[in-house]
Amino acid sequence: MCLYTFPQRNMRCPYAPMVTHVVVDPSKCSGCRYCELWCSYIHEKVFSTSRSRIRVVKDDITGMDFPVVCQRCEQMSCVSECPTGALYVDERGQLKLEMGKCLRCGVCSEVCPYGAVFQDPADGSPLICDLCDGSAVCVAKCPTNALSLYPVSEVVITGVESLGKRFKLAVSEYRKLLERWGIRARIE
Amino acid sequence: MPGSSKLYGYSGKILRVNLASKEVKIVKLERDLARAYLGGRGLNVARLYYEVPPGVDPLSPENKLFFGVGPVVGTGFPLGARLNVTAKSPQTGILGDSNVGGHFAPELKYAGFDQVVIEGRSDRPIYLYIHDEAVEFRDASGLWGMTVSKTYEAIRRELREPEVQIAAVGPAAENLVRFSGIFFNRSRPAARTGLGAVMASKNLKAVAVRGSGYVEVAKPELFEKIVEEIELEVFSHEQYWPRRVMGTSRILMAANRIGILPGKHFTEPEVPYAFNVSGEMLALKYNVKNRACFSCVVPCSRVFVVKRPGQAFIGEGPEYEALAGMTVRIGNSDLEKALKAVETVNELGMDVISVSEVISWAMELYSTGALSREDVGGLELEWGNMDTVMELLHDIAYRRGFGDVLADGVAAAAEKLGKGFEVAFHVKRLEMIQADPRGLKGYGLGFAVSTRGADHLRSEPFIELSDDPKIGLKMFGVSEATLRLGVRGKGRLVAYYENLCALVDSLGVCKNLAENMNILDYEKTARLIEAVTGMGLSPARVEMIGERIVNLERAYDVREGVRKRDDTLPRRFLREPLKVGGSAGHVIELDVMLEEYYDVRGWDKKTGVPTARKLEELDLVDVAEDLRRRGLIS
Repeated sequence: MCLYTFPQRNMRCPYAPMVTHVVVDPSKCSGCRYCELWCSYIHEKVFSTSRSRIRVVKDDITGMDFPVVCQRCEQMSCVSECPTGALYVDERGQLKLEMGKCLRCGVCSEVCPYGAVFQDPADGSPLICDLCDGSAVCVAKCPTNALSLYPVSEVVITGVESLGKRFKLAVSEYRKLLERWGIRARIE
Repeated sequence: MPGSSKLYGYSGKILRVNLASKEVKIVKLERDLARAYLGGRGLNVARLYYEVPPGVDPLSPENKLFFGVGPVVGTGFPLGARLNVTAKSPQTGILGDSNVGGHFAPELKYAGFDQVVIEGRSDRPIYLYIHDEAVEFRDASGLWGMTVSKTYEAIRRELREPEVQIAAVGPAAENLVRFSGIFFNRSRPAARTGLGAVMASKNLKAVAVRGSGYVEVAKPELFEKIVEEIELEVFSHEQYWPRRVMGTSRILMAANRIGILPGKHFTEPEVPYAFNVSGEMLALKYNVKNRACFSCVVPCSRVFVVKRPGQAFIGEGPEYEALAGMTVRIGNSDLEKALKAVETVNELGMDVISVSEVISWAMELYSTGALSREDVGGLELEWGNMDTVMELLHDIAYRRGFGDVLADGVAAAAEKLGKGFEVAFHVKRLEMIQADPRGLKGYGLGFAVSTRGADHLRSEPFIELSDDPKIGLKMFGVSEATLRLGVRGKGRLVAYYENLCALVDSLGVCKNLAENMNILDYEKTARLIEAVTGMGLSPARVEMIGERIVNLERAYDVREGVRKRDDTLPRRFLREPLKVGGSAGHVIELDVMLEEYYDVRGWDKKTGVPTARKLEELDLVDVAEDLRRRGLIS
């Protein structure tokens, strides 16, 4: 459970039932790992990049800074492969971990296609994004606005066909950017 | 109370590695040292003073290399991830000390150490892999000779660990170029004072570190509150967006406006092509994204792409020192060639400030005819000839031909050639940065008295660029103190910021926050120290820690032979007024400022040596005793 005490951010996210995960705009990420630090602080009460549920993958030759975090993918292998049912999806659609049942076997971490299930270096228990119960400290703390909750809103783009193939191409590409800013785009 | 003996903010351990015997010792961080010096720079110089006696050859196994981390590092404090590297400098023969950002410092703390002490010399090339309180000595014979980024890639691949942080030296250091640096993950160097040569002299190619530990703060609620306050101050600061868009490269245009550029080796304080080589131009045409150091909310580093077909490349930076060094200082107006040159300097592993001085020095002598083409090995050293510069960069790094003459620094080059002494711009053998002290008098005083030689980052009295007399009046009681062309009050200004610099370097905080944005004063620092470590120190005690560190560094330099005569500036700045630009007509009135500075410092005005009284007042009783025993103070 996330005990979140920042005065101006203690508001629960109003879209919480709809929001499923954190999205990333890597062109904005500066690689400062502020998200990692405050994630570990909120969840584990210490500052540690190894106890975070979001990790920035970096490469200094190409200048890459790419935050990796649970994407709530459809297959959810972490849940289906969990041998004891410790990882489950609750009635609100939230990913939950029941620590008492967890064997620390690391299967969830292994099967995650994104490598977004991390293991606590001390006891091997899984570290998976729980959106801080909707308030997502990483999103709140990101200094470059590279992280967003998804989907916080939806736009419907209609009549794409009537505007021709260039418009259709542009919309389908731009939609990817919109998604990285938390906006789900439905093309009709 | 359980845990009451815990040192919050610290990992509480020191790693000692002997490269000769391959012995590793892990010892507890001394609580009284942490209290007296905090960490980082302070802790490093304290150990250097006591463990490396005077007269030691800096490139011998007897010299030691210290990597120090401050208590703020690794916490979620914004702009707090600096590492301090210290050794006796092979370039200056006095204190060698350099501070660097990036991600290495927190990784070292998470690996379990507040400080690493590297002693002795390995019999063959090795690199160290430090992970979670374990140390591996790994063979580096295959890495020897590799450039900085190749080393970075090779080690990452070999260790199969993408999160490892790497400090490496390049070919220049291997060839013991006296101004070679230690490069952290390719583009973040601890470059000043030749620490790369110290590392390479120990046959140590790199230090790789990975840690899965954590840092706890003593007072989480207070800490959260301070972080929120600091964030707000940073985000609303007038310098926030310029810094985010341009980093320090923004200074070039500002320096041109006020006439303090080092154009053609400090003969052209303003240049007509400034905009073409400016941070603004970089932002307009080349920058593609921002990058930041660990835990920093001001992403002031920029990734750029040069898009010219056939010569396209991607890189990071450059900061003002590199930008001005490879453009105006050597008379080059081609930005893309300058970017390539900066990348090359980094790849070879050198200090771009010193490189720009040795090259521009040679160019000035060449242009006046003091050096002939034969003297420089047939190179065409006209101003701005970048083909020659690129060739010369390699010649310096590999000590070939005329490059070998320059590879020991500008002071040594003048001695070798027997000419160019009066235009060799260094203080205590460390080359001058890219700002003309005739138009920035506080900076000038800072260069003269700095404990590591001509450098701005020992004092960084950035506030004098505000030209706001009210600030000076409020902070120092003298309105002139914060006027860049003022003279009175500069002693106080420089001493204040020297203490603050020493303090933040010891905490691991960035000077952009403390000095340039002027956000962190002693009161806030005292609260920060309390929140992180639990030490309740008054603002006055906190300033005293900074003052203690500066005095200890000065005592170290004094023990190595530094006196008042060394606290000076090259003749050009003292005697020849600037002819054009926003600071025209000015020289730097060093004597007056120096007098005031010694006064504020409580140092002997005739010799420049700290008085016994001052040292004892700062709890440096044993240092006073040491200097007395050596006959340096009475």
